[in-house]
Amino acid sequence: MKKFSNTYIFIYSTILVAVVAVVLAVVAMSLKPRQEANLLTEKHQMILSTIGDRPEAAEADALYAERITEQTTEAGDTYYLYDNGSIFRLDGNGLWGKIWGYIAFDKEFNVVGAVFDHASETPGLGAEIATDWFAAQFKDNKTIIDNGQIRPIQLVKKANRDASSRYEVDAITGGTMTSNGMNDMLTQCLTEKYADVINQLRNEAPAAESVEDAAQPEEADANVEANN
Amino acid sequence: MKNWKLITTPLSKENPITVQVLGICSCLAVTAQLKPAVFMAVSVTVVVVLSNLIISLLRNTIPPRIRIIVQLVVVSMLVILVDQFLKAFFFDVSKQLSVYVSLIITNCIVMGRLEAFAMSNKPGPSVLDGIGNGLGYSVILIILGFVRELFGSGTLWGYPVLSAIGYENNGLMIMPPMALILVGIIIWIQRSKDKELQEK
Repeated sequence: MKKFSNTYIFIYSTILVAVVAVVLAVVAMSLKPRQEANLLTEKHQMILSTIGDRPEAAEADALYAERITEQTTEAGDTYYLYDNGSIFRLDGNGLWGKIWGYIAFDKEFNVVGAVFDHASETPGLGAEIATDWFAAQFKDNKTIIDNGQIRPIQLVKKANRDASSRYEVDAITGGTMTSNGMNDMLTQCLTEKYADVINQLRNEAPAAESVEDAAQPEEADANVEANN
Repeated sequence: MKNWKLITTPLSKENPITVQVLGICSCLAVTAQLKPAVFMAVSVTVVVVLSNLIISLLRNTIPPRIRIIVQLVVVSMLVILVDQFLKAFFFDVSKQLSVYVSLIITNCIVMGRLEAFAMSNKPGPSVLDGIGNGLGYSVILIILGFVRELFGSGTLWGYPVLSAIGYENNGLMIMPPMALILVGIIIWIQRSKDKELQEK
């Protein structure tokens, strides 16, 4: 077997690593714009799905531009307006990593739809928050306004849950830590981060004050139409 | 036609999955549907072929003491390139494959071919060996992806096939253990047909 000196080995490995680093850097830089566009499209699809639109990736950006306007809060957070209400980005911590989502409201802050995702929750347990059945619970006649105050929706164990409550959804079996993270996320984002914006939007919508007991969303909708 | 064998033996007598039983981890993880299975098969084939080529070209310059590290650097580079490429051009597939693309680095087929073949053979045969082993891996992955998606979800490549005629999905098919059972069945069939593979 051929003998290689230590000097040769050092120089060889240095050159090899340098060449590989340059190749990877060049490729990563040149593909970055495309990858970022893909991520942005995915985000647009996620936001659109909260208001019931599920476009293919190719059409998502155009539809997003058409239906959604981005707004910024005084603190610099982005929220989204569409023709019949507003959409908020939620950020929180699950058991293993970050969890996030988008929740859409109509003008009276009844929930229109929600979607959640996670970085690394346990499949079958905490990861269930990213499923359609979980998100669909938020569409089921939920609201965040209770007697004129913001009251975040919470995940509650089925046994302790009042099935008719408009402020509770089923928690995840075996995913208690993720469920707690969801509760913290909903509470923090809706009652602190976006509270000012939500209150401001409610004041702008003239019908909002008259439906404080919000128990009959049908009536609430009728009121909006009457006022429009 | 000596070189032709480099492509054909990995498809049968030296199949990396059914005979050498390598690369099982990814073969369980990505074959619940046909599409990710095909993309995984292509990715692994590309990595095996190119790493075989590069290592074969460098083989006389690589100091034996650091050869494993050199191989690892080359394989990692290729895997990252494939991963970045998928993220840029096939975003939905790359999300489905998630970490399993990066895990090609640890796929024993790749390192195995470098150590067993590319380190001691010319670039031409090394490329053929890479193609052969890549195809050997691909064949099994595609068979698994086909069977599991067809009977597990009633679809093929996302299009309804059995589900269109009222087939009730078999949930076991999309669970990872079923991939192992199917691999076992393929190994069984292959061994019962090929006398050379039967141990005394």
